[in-house]
Amino acid sequence: MAHPQIAIFARLAKGGDTPQRVIYGQTSKLSRNMHAVRYGETRDEIYITNQFAQSVLTFRGGADGQEAPIRTIQGPKTLLENPGTLEIDEVNHEIFVPQPGSENVLVFPLTANGDVAPLRILQGGRKNGWTTARPAGGIAVDPVHKVLVVAGTLTGDEVWQSPYGNNRESLLIFDRSAKGDEKPLRVIRGPNTGMHAIRQIQIQATNGWIVVGQMTDGEIAEPEGTFIGVWSVKDKGDVPPRWKIEGKPSNGILKPRGIAFDPKHKEVITADMRLNAVVTFYFPEIF
Amino acid sequence: MFRTILGRSGLSAVIPIAIIIAAGGWVLLAGKEMRPDVKASSRLAQRRPTGVLKLVSVEPLPEMGLDGEMCEWVPASSRSRLVAFLHQERSAPPAASATAGESRTSVTLERPAVRTIRDLFPTFTAVAVDVQNNEIVLQDENLFQIMVYDRLTDTPLTATMSEPKRVISGPKTDVEFNCGVYVDPRTGDIYSVSNDTLRNVTVFSRNASGNVRPQRQLSVPIRTYGIAVSEANEELFLTVQGPPMVLVHNKYAEGRAKPLRVLTGNSTGLADPHGIGLDTKNGLLLVSNYGNAADYRDGGVLPRRDHDMVPGSGRYEPPSISVYPIQASGDTPPLRTIQGARTQLNWPSHLSVDEEHGEVYVANDGDDSILVFRVTDRGNVAPIRVLKGPNTQIKNPSGVFVDAVNDELVVSNMGNHRATVYGRTASGDAAPIRTIRTAPEGKPALMIANPGAVAYDTKRDQIIVPN
Repeated sequence: MAHPQIAIFARLAKGGDTPQRVIYGQTSKLSRNMHAVRYGETRDEIYITNQFAQSVLTFRGGADGQEAPIRTIQGPKTLLENPGTLEIDEVNHEIFVPQPGSENVLVFPLTANGDVAPLRILQGGRKNGWTTARPAGGIAVDPVHKVLVVAGTLTGDEVWQSPYGNNRESLLIFDRSAKGDEKPLRVIRGPNTGMHAIRQIQIQATNGWIVVGQMTDGEIAEPEGTFIGVWSVKDKGDVPPRWKIEGKPSNGILKPRGIAFDPKHKEVITADMRLNAVVTFYFPEIF
Repeated sequence: MFRTILGRSGLSAVIPIAIIIAAGGWVLLAGKEMRPDVKASSRLAQRRPTGVLKLVSVEPLPEMGLDGEMCEWVPASSRSRLVAFLHQERSAPPAASATAGESRTSVTLERPAVRTIRDLFPTFTAVAVDVQNNEIVLQDENLFQIMVYDRLTDTPLTATMSEPKRVISGPKTDVEFNCGVYVDPRTGDIYSVSNDTLRNVTVFSRNASGNVRPQRQLSVPIRTYGIAVSEANEELFLTVQGPPMVLVHNKYAEGRAKPLRVLTGNSTGLADPHGIGLDTKNGLLLVSNYGNAADYRDGGVLPRRDHDMVPGSGRYEPPSISVYPIQASGDTPPLRTIQGARTQLNWPSHLSVDEEHGEVYVANDGDDSILVFRVTDRGNVAPIRVLKGPNTQIKNPSGVFVDAVNDELVVSNMGNHRATVYGRTASGDAAPIRTIRTAPEGKPALMIANPGAVAYDTKRDQIIVPN
């Protein structure tokens, strides 16, 4: 990918409609590997990470052009290692950042700025039987049902092996405020789930639906079995999604990766990495 | 808490409303004394058919289990949750709820998209000129194509676009997110770098066309970006954005061949490196850096992985051009660095070195400009020439090539579906002498590339898409 940017389109944009604004350039502090982005309406802010510079960036909601972030979490106290994804919890005022290298999830105050220590750390690793995805995988918080959902995998000899390799084939569901060596409350994984490589995750908290972009394998140009899938925050084990939209030409997607909601219009929006496209579906079932 | 018994079904969808009504009812019923007129109107209201929800009675709720219906307390500060709830249209069919029971179905939806944002035209990331055969080779990262044009192609203003002579594209090509290109000046072989997912350098013969397999492939790390070749030494140089390094292979390496040497480590000054250029005359290697930096534990041993980064060592360095001996390997610091406010560097992308004139050209993506420095420059120096302005048609240039044979400069612009050609020494707001355009005039490029995520701005009703 030759040009980092955050492009911002009108909801009804389609075809080659140009973005209404674009955040880019040296001042923006952006780089590649922006594998999650969040918008927080309460503070009207955009949240994103820079993996190479080990930072979490917050922009004004209306940021445009070569605009600097209004806050940057970066420095030795942060313990940030290679942040590629993140989640915000506007109810409890926190930012969650999964760490592939350290196999943990760091939690910061939503308004943290500069070289600040995390509020708490949820630690994975072999001794705890789970790890975060490498590179950083999807993460989502449900403040209503009080759970944290992390894309990752289980460790151990008896663990089912995805034919595409174990890494981010599992949804690990924790208590929202889990910390230290806590284990998942529930795990959704297995051949019936169809999950092999989860990318962005969003939770429709009102009804407790986890929505996942499943792209099977990033290193295959057009892999089989991709889909947008929906599970319940109460699901566990080897269960298929409650609903799914498969990645195929008739549905207009091939390799869905990003997931976002427009609750007002009951729409699910996906970013498709093979089509270099943003695709919107009417999805009233989950709203 | 109390459950209100309602006059029609759809209980789960109206629980929040019912609770508010119940609370009001509790105030009325449990107050010290109800006014007689209120008592009377309430009794009357219960007997009249109104066609809307009405309070029939108020009863205590049973204890809630984890799997039962829940009414979670949400702090008043959760404005977004409230807004999301209120945004739901009343006319829509009732939504399912994850907490509404244990019955479980799995449904595959056949559902076409309601809208798709997608640029259907090529977006040029890199350029090289085949001076032997008078062709311009362009990398299209949007549609994953390598497009070959006659060097003298000049799209008329009235034309929709210019057709290429050949296009290499399709699943057999193993080309995706192609961002770097090199053309062998002797054979015309095309070297293509796939930056993200496929992790390869693919080599095609000059006349390759269509959905064809490459002649050979070299596996490289993810995030490989820039490419340059020393024909004299038959060495292939590649930059890798992260972990930052320069790999040097034999020019004809293929498969999983190991590099001849690797320039990498905390002393190198490599920081999200992009472009690469060689000055074989003076034995120099030049690299452009975005400036996103962190330290790595091992200091330079392959294979290095993301999780070898030192936590908390991240920082933003100013963008730079770092200069090394062409034989540099390991944790070698640069001989000198072009860096600072006077340089005007802003996301410096591909480089092209003009050995004859001792100049290095920089595709300055973030500033819509081409900067030219002397290869001997160091420190906070101004460029000797800047090509920039509305007449240049330069927009988000990520590729640049100095054609020393024809004394021309070719720029690939990501932002406007075109490659533009200038006299080699063009500067200021000079118009191109030729333009290769692949979309209707005035059509900006979306530059969506490998979109990894998306968000929705509920305040402005906008879709937020990072690359």
